[in-house]
Amino acid sequence: MGYRDVAKVGLGGPVGSGKTAMVRRLVPELVERDYEVGVIANDIMTQEDADVFRESFDGLIPDELVEGVETGACPHTGIREDPSMNLATIDEFTERHPELDVVLIESGGDNLAATFNPELADYFLFVISVAEGEDIPRKRGPGVTQADLLVVNKTDLAPHVDADLDVIDEDAATVRGEDPFVFTNCKDGEGVDAVLEHVEREVLFA
Amino acid sequence: MTSDSSSFLTALRLSDSFLPVGGYTASYGVEQYLNEDRLEDGEDLQALLAAYLRRVVGPCETVALANAHAGAAAGDIERLFAVDERLHAVTMPREFRESSTKAGAKLCELLGPATATSSAADGREDPSAGTGSSVADGGELVAPFADAIHSDATPGHYPIVFGVVAAARGLPQLSACLAHAYSFVTGLLGAAQRLGRFSHTEIQSVLESLEPVITDVCEHHVDDDVTTMAAFAPMAEIMGMRHERAGRRLFMS
Ligand SMILES: Nc1nc2c(ncn2[C@@H]2O[C@H](COP(=O)(O)OP(=O)(O)O)[C@@H](O)[C@H]2O)c(=O)[nH]1
Ligand SMILES: [Mg+2]
Repeated sequence: MGYRDVAKVGLGGPVGSGKTAMVRRLVPELVERDYEVGVIANDIMTQEDADVFRESFDGLIPDELVEGVETGACPHTGIREDPSMNLATIDEFTERHPELDVVLIESGGDNLAATFNPELADYFLFVISVAEGEDIPRKRGPGVTQADLLVVNKTDLAPHVDADLDVIDEDAATVRGEDPFVFTNCKDGEGVDAVLEHVEREVLFA
Repeated sequence: MTSDSSSFLTALRLSDSFLPVGGYTASYGVEQYLNEDRLEDGEDLQALLAAYLRRVVGPCETVALANAHAGAAAGDIERLFAVDERLHAVTMPREFRESSTKAGAKLCELLGPATATSSAADGREDPSAGTGSSVADGGELVAPFADAIHSDATPGHYPIVFGVVAAARGLPQLSACLAHAYSFVTGLLGAAQRLGRFSHTEIQSVLESLEPVITDVCEHHVDDDVTTMAAFAPMAEIMGMRHERAGRRLFMS
């Protein structure tokens, strides 16, 4: 058993776009569907962060399947050029939990050029938020164009930051071509079902 | 026979931060020194790294690497286990051991048995080479040593794996020690640069001033017997241990 034997879903995107919020939404749903889930955070971890994370999944997943992996102040390297420490952690997960179905890997916060190493993530979501500016999709960053699923989060904030959802929708459709994108609001869970559907179909049933 | 040119490239590859073995996640205590404001400027950094070289990299890791290289060349797997065990015993902070064994396992995966035999079989890495020529004397221990790491029979510390793959690829002992010590230094300088406020020119001048120390400690320790392996760096070890409970951490060690 090792990292090659488990489904791995990456969540990339800029700091504050809602990656952690998405992980928090996805985990209970996946557990509900009887998947055994592990979670890795590549954020700047304080002991406090790790505890908060474990607490929020209390009763859903065992403590030892929630890990912070330090990336030496190089978050992109950790998910792209050299994912070895993330892979080593997944190996530890599968060693202790051979039945593990899926690992969610949250990146430490990226620029728009960041993508996931295909050996680390079988499938990756790039999470942006409308509050970062409605022009993000049309910049065609590799994260936005190459992700398996583009997630445009915080739709609830659009009116407050002068972001036009129709413009984002049009731009995203243009830059994504045939590839999917979804709008979400992780605050009240809107759109999370659509994300789950993609993940389940493309990763877990595959 | 491995040519000088290809062994030179092996040295570059093994000392390159491009090598994906997670080296950029290890600071071997440097993060804690910075957390505690113990490194103010380039001079402090230079002094710390020189001490690391003289007290840890030289008398521990270089001795371990050189003996692993010799053990691999002699086809003596028991000697590899003994060197690995000893290095494990003299590396005090838990996080130092973890950084080293995780990187060792990754190096073994990357340059270990599969790649050693495939490059020997199809000669793709060196079109001018005849079949089997990429694996120098000592290559036959790569696979059993990899198995031993995989089954937790031996910890698989980075300098040991480094010595084994270097021997298998025909990189001479001293060159391997120099490549390792150099990459240790650049790894820590990179960590310091990302965490502190050091300019690129300052970092390069620290590196330059450390070059004679690197050559000196490698030449001095390359022929040491394995029983001499010992570190004396109590402050670095305390920093490494305190790092386990650091309030904020960006590095694994
Ligand atoms: N209004 C609103 N806030 C959100 C939404 N998603 C996340 N947030 C908030 O945005 C902040 C950053 O979210 P977080 O998930 O930590 O971002 P990360 O850095 O990508 O992990 C937090 O305060 C979240 O509560 C959303 O859809 N709407
Ligand atoms: Mg987060």
